[in-house]
Amino acid sequence: MIQTIEASPDEIYDIELEHSLLEANAKLAKENRSLLDRHGIASIDVMGAIGSGKTTLIGRLVERLKDRLGVAVFNGDATISSDADLIARQNVPVVQIATVNGCHLDANLVGKALRKIDLTKLKLIFIENIGNLICPAEFPLGSKARVVVVSVTEGQYMVRKHPHMFLGADLVVVNKIDLASAMEVSIEDLIADVHKLKPDLKVIRTSCKNGVGLDELTASLLAI
Amino acid sequence: MHELSIASSLVDSVLEFLDAHKVKKVLTVRLAVGELNCVEAEQLCFCYTAITQKTAMENSTLEIETVAAVVQCPRCDYRGSPKYWEDARSAAPIPTLECPKCQGTVEPIQGNDCAIKTIQFVA
Ligand SMILES: Nc1nc2c(ncn2[C@@H]2O[C@H](COP(=O)(O)OP(=O)(O)O)[C@@H](O)[C@H]2O)c(=O)[nH]1
Ligand SMILES: [Mg+2]
Ligand SMILES: [Zn+2]
Repeated sequence: MIQTIEASPDEIYDIELEHSLLEANAKLAKENRSLLDRHGIASIDVMGAIGSGKTTLIGRLVERLKDRLGVAVFNGDATISSDADLIARQNVPVVQIATVNGCHLDANLVGKALRKIDLTKLKLIFIENIGNLICPAEFPLGSKARVVVVSVTEGQYMVRKHPHMFLGADLVVVNKIDLASAMEVSIEDLIADVHKLKPDLKVIRTSCKNGVGLDELTASLLAI
Repeated sequence: MHELSIASSLVDSVLEFLDAHKVKKVLTVRLAVGELNCVEAEQLCFCYTAITQKTAMENSTLEIETVAAVVQCPRCDYRGSPKYWEDARSAAPIPTLECPKCQGTVEPIQGNDCAIKTIQFVA
């Protein structure tokens, strides 16, 4: 038998920590939420892939809502498009939020944005999250509802490929339905996939091109 | 790329711990990731290795364990494992929020967190 002799190591410790990495953000999210609640403001976190139509949808919703109630938009998505200008041109407060690593919005950044604008006249804030398919449960912002936008141009299997997105969503918008037949995507199958993940999740079909579903979406958001 | 921000908050927390204690070298960090979280282990380890360089955590190992999801049904009171979607186009079955008993929507009560469990170090 071969005996090996090892240099005695310094003492090794094993420390139990139980330290949540998501807790700090969750705490700030709660603070954002209570600030918003105190002002009677509903906020809506809009998530979804780049190009799914988040900016365009928010623009259409702002058009419909701004004469009825105070609306503001936080834009976490750095893409510059004519639609982003469209929101700015509607004379509602817009705050551009730049993230350090361009990854996702967090409650701290949203908290900073909330301190930048006059909350007293607002009733609704749209927060356009970065076009990134992370799960909303991971980095809550303190919003009242999380909307996931999926467009038919992302293909038939978008929901199956990114299931986590939908578990923490309160509402799903299937956008660009005007392109469904050109894309050979079945909207029914896409929605069936959403309901496999979360049976009671509300899904609204929209087209920013011809306006289908935008009134229904407006009404649902006002009911939130 | 949210793995990068999770990795940096992980490393910040551990380094903070090291400051407060007498630590020569970190050997292993064990992380528990909830099944309902979409943290990608491989990407997380990659980020971890990159940002621990030239810190007291350099060359330490990140061990990731999965915490099983537990769901609860507000309608029929079912409590237990989620129903899995077997034929989805992903490597592993996907946990869903459909109640295995009554087909309603369940609420997750475990499996959403991401937490440091233990740190093994040489003092
Ligand atoms: N055909 C069609 N195009 C749309 C629709 N919604 C948005 N788009 C277009 O899709 C592109 C990306 O939209 P954008 O709002 O910038 O997406 P975002 O990255 O999610 O903010 C733009 O060229 C929009 O004009 C829609 O319902 N139908
Ligand atoms: Mg955009
Ligand atoms: Zn049930």
